Amino acid sequence: MMAMHELLNDPVDVEVSFSNNRVVPRSIRWNQKDYKIETVNLVHTAREGHKKMFYFSVSDLNNYFKLKLDPENLDWRLVELYTDG
Amino acid sequence: MERIILHIDFNSYFASVEQQANPFLRGKPIGITGKSQERSVVATASIEAKALGVKTAMSTWEAKKVCPTIILWPGDPEKYSDITSRFNRILSEFTPNVSQFSVDESFLDITDEAEDYFGATCLAQALRERLREEFGDHITASIGIAPNKLMAKLACESVKPNGLTVVRKDDLIDFIDTRELDDLCGIGHRIKHRLNALGVETFKQLREFPINDLVDEFKSYGTWLHAAAHGHDSSAVVSSTQKGIRTMHSTGVKSYGHSYTLPQNTHDLLVIKRYLLGLADKVAWRMRRDKTLARRVSVFVRFGDFTGHGEQRTFNEPTANGLKLFQIAWRILSPHLSPHSHPQPTGRARDTDIGTTLSRPTSDRSQSSYQGLGSPPNDLVRLVGLSTSLLSSGPEQPPLFKKDRKMISVFSSLDKLQHRYGPGVWQRASTMPIEFKSRSSGFNYDHEV
Repeated sequence: MMAMHELLNDPVDVEVSFSNNRVVPRSIRWNQKDYKIETVNLVHTAREGHKKMFYFSVSDLNNYFKLKLDPENLDWRLVELYTDG
Repeated sequence: MERIILHIDFNSYFASVEQQANPFLRGKPIGITGKSQERSVVATASIEAKALGVKTAMSTWEAKKVCPTIILWPGDPEKYSDITSRFNRILSEFTPNVSQFSVDESFLDITDEAEDYFGATCLAQALRERLREEFGDHITASIGIAPNKLMAKLACESVKPNGLTVVRKDDLIDFIDTRELDDLCGIGHRIKHRLNALGVETFKQLREFPINDLVDEFKSYGTWLHAAAHGHDSSAVVSSTQKGIRTMHSTGVKSYGHSYTLPQNTHDLLVIKRYLLGLADKVAWRMRRDKTLARRVSVFVRFGDFTGHGEQRTFNEPTANGLKLFQIAWRILSPHLSPHSHPQPTGRARDTDIGTTLSRPTSDRSQSSYQGLGSPPNDLVRLVGLSTSLLSSGPEQPPLFKKDRKMISVFSSLDKLQHRYGPGVWQRASTMPIEFKSRSSGFNYDHEV
């Protein structure tokens, strides 16, 4: 199987936990399928005008997901998906 | 007191960040590219790709040729910029004397904090651990510690990746003599070739070469070369606050400029005009943001064969109006892009430039002949750029005509929008067909300037 890399902007349901003053994504539901997040690899922020967006680079056993959180309206988006080949 | 300088440099920075973010890229040869992978270069190769012969700034097609298994990955400048900011914040936890050298390397004067080389080594280990906590295991850095910046950087670069190299004052000469001339920051290929032509192949030979002869050949640079070969460098670690830098809104800037490599090399004047107008608007927005006006515009193009043409024009009334800057720039540039009409397949051209193609005037290259679409690919325009200089501060002189005054008030509203929602919130209708994609480079990030 070939690796697949997609840039998306899909709304996604995210289950999170809060610990040590941090938001930690635990699982996501996308395209009617649940994915359990194994590791949060990197968290970074980026500005969109005055807005500060949070990006979570997370992965399960086969996929890398980049999730975007808009803290103003708590909207989660799946913006990038990489499936290992 | 002998200074202790620490130089820290992330290893394969952009690639390591991507490998940290995406575990499926780890252990693989990856190359971080720009906006379009076909016309891009490898901004950073992963450690694995470097081991297979991929070099920084190699074109993507060449990288594919050298390493067919390379994964070309589009760069994410905003992510790297965030990591850079956090990196610099961490460095300032260790000492206030931090001088950023590029997006992924900095100098720290740790003389007071470390007290001696043992303390410096402990500090370096603590710094490395702090970076690991913040970013993870896969973003690593090499560290060099020495009595000055030049030697600290040379030490840092001697062991990669993830090295920690300490060179004390007494060991400087022995250490330098293990390095090649062009390992030293300040000796590039050209200087090296000129030194080789003088019979200087090693640092030992450079030390022994008469300083007067070096000065004859390199002017004042000869003195620097002589000192460098002895491991001397008195330059201070000057932090951005000491320099008086007020980040991006600095009034110390001398020019504003943007350039852009087009998605395809082109003859099409309309496409070139659109990009030039877009660049002029980018430059003008930054000037208005910084309350600055310009009295000079420079414009340049690069052709497919990497030759180019540039010119500038000075004018009396300072401006920060993108359209005015574009109009002046186009007046300068267009005579050097002689148009050739070619048949339009359908429709009727409304703009006089629609349906025309260009090429360089034959005076630029006597061997070539230019026939519109039939021109050789090397004569197509590859890159356009525009910059402004002769800057002054203050508001623009109110225009005479009502229409122009209205335009200034429109800009004021558009600028507020852009400030709030970021670049891309407005665009001229005439530039709608084009798109500027963000880029990453070793020294700055597009979205920050």
